[in-house]
Amino acid sequence: MTRALAIDTTSDVLSLGVRHGDGPLHQVHDRCGAAMNRRLLTTIDALLHQAGLTPAELDVVLVARGPGSFTGTRMGLAVARSFAQIAGTALVGVDTLALLAAAVDPAQAPARGHALLRCTRREVYLATYAWEQGAPRREGEIALLPLPELLAAVGTEPVVLREHDGVHGGPDPRLEALRPMALRHAAPDAALLMEVGLALFARGEPLPEAAPIYLKSAAFRTWQPRREAP
Amino acid sequence: MNDMLGLAYDTTFDDTSVAVLRGTREILANATLSQYADHEEFGGVVPERASRKHLEVIHPLTAKALATAGVGFGDLDYVAVSNKPGLLGAILVGVTVAKTTAYLLGKPLIGINHIEAHPYANVLTHGPLPFPIVHLVAAGGHTLLIRQDDHFQWQVIGRSIDDAAGECVDKVAKLFGHAMPGGPAVDATALAHPPGDYDFPRPLLREPNLNFSFSGLKTALRYFRRDHPAAPEGPVLSAFMEAVVDVLVRKTLRAAEQCGVGQISVSGGLAASRRLRGAFEAACAEAGIALYYPPPALCTDNAAMVACLAAHRYAAGSFDDLTLEGYANLVE
Repeated sequence: MTRALAIDTTSDVLSLGVRHGDGPLHQVHDRCGAAMNRRLLTTIDALLHQAGLTPAELDVVLVARGPGSFTGTRMGLAVARSFAQIAGTALVGVDTLALLAAAVDPAQAPARGHALLRCTRREVYLATYAWEQGAPRREGEIALLPLPELLAAVGTEPVVLREHDGVHGGPDPRLEALRPMALRHAAPDAALLMEVGLALFARGEPLPEAAPIYLKSAAFRTWQPRREAP
Repeated sequence: MNDMLGLAYDTTFDDTSVAVLRGTREILANATLSQYADHEEFGGVVPERASRKHLEVIHPLTAKALATAGVGFGDLDYVAVSNKPGLLGAILVGVTVAKTTAYLLGKPLIGINHIEAHPYANVLTHGPLPFPIVHLVAAGGHTLLIRQDDHFQWQVIGRSIDDAAGECVDKVAKLFGHAMPGGPAVDATALAHPPGDYDFPRPLLREPNLNFSFSGLKTALRYFRRDHPAAPEGPVLSAFMEAVVDVLVRKTLRAAEQCGVGQISVSGGLAASRRLRGAFEAACAEAGIALYYPPPALCTDNAAMVACLAAHRYAAGSFDDLTLEGYANLVE
């Protein structure tokens, strides 16, 4: 009867879920953007109340650890790590591309495909998966690629794509033209995180670490190492 | 109330600080991790890098602070955090950890204005301050003159309209090739040399208002350096610091005079300058004004001063709820 809290704050959607064993999933999927920090703890508290649980009764916190919004990812991890430090709750970190891959319909999954997540207008996170008996297994590391390199790497293979909500300029037609995979779950949310995270938790130690995945240098945009004037 | 235990966080800029305070003044722990080494290659603080580092260290630092204090989470009476002003991404790390901690412990949460907290370094040092009082807060990103009539009752009566004094000193330090943090290096150099024949502008000193402007002084140094590359560093930096100190001291004393106040407190990172402290001590002695000054360790950003202000809020029953947000600016 695992009692679990799922936290995904890696996009502008606050996605939270609480489940007590085989009971119903109490879930919130709130496109709250900049109000996320304001709503995060109060929403967790409301969900725990709905499930009839106290924070101390949780066995595990399942947390999305990026890539995605840097600030959002940190908020989710800050909450999760505090649960671990104060309440002794177990932590399971799940990367956001694994959630995308888990959204693919296993009955129609290809032998190989790619999970794509927009980072900026010009860059995309990429993870390549092979499906074995309907279950995705990642091949290699998650990468952050410039769009032209990403398109070359994907070629004609099928993809599951998630647009980053904060990307300026809207959807890119070159990404929209890629061959999509059939999905069983419209978009990654706390329900999917609960499913993937609990499966990892059930495997036991060592649990996947709850550390942030950034992949992008902290010194992006205008900050560059100083160069001496000629 | 004297036995109340508070846990406080400050992550407003590039230092992660966690403190445990008993009562209103007894610092049981004040653990601060500086990030200077993480930002040195860029010649300045990179906000995203600062935020990442805060998340990396804040939980281990909390454990260290509690261990140093010899208390556990269950002993705490309240949780406090600086929620403005500063780097928003950095602030949100501290705010989120503090909110979660308060929630899990079922204890009051107290959001603190980091600028309002700086003068409380003097409460930690000297005990309760007399009101009304004029505070000079010379922190990295802000130079402010504040009139305070009671706890939580204060108003800004003067502020920097461009670069803060500490920011100006750091930029001039960089101009002379000093590594971060540049302020102590400039201060030490200035102390070791007389200003000689060099003289730099005292911006806005002739204006009747209490505002500051240090951008022009920084630019004056840049042009001077360009036009006089052979000028010796020691006397030049000494003359520069004399200009900075002169403006800060005279404007602060003017503020006290205008407010009819006989006491001044100085706080913030630049207050660690021995040159500034010496000038304030001399000027206040001559003017018959009581001066309150913290030790250098409490001048720079630290969570103990946050806890000290929070302890007064706790005693007054002034709490926040879990919707507490972070703000980059002094005014929400």
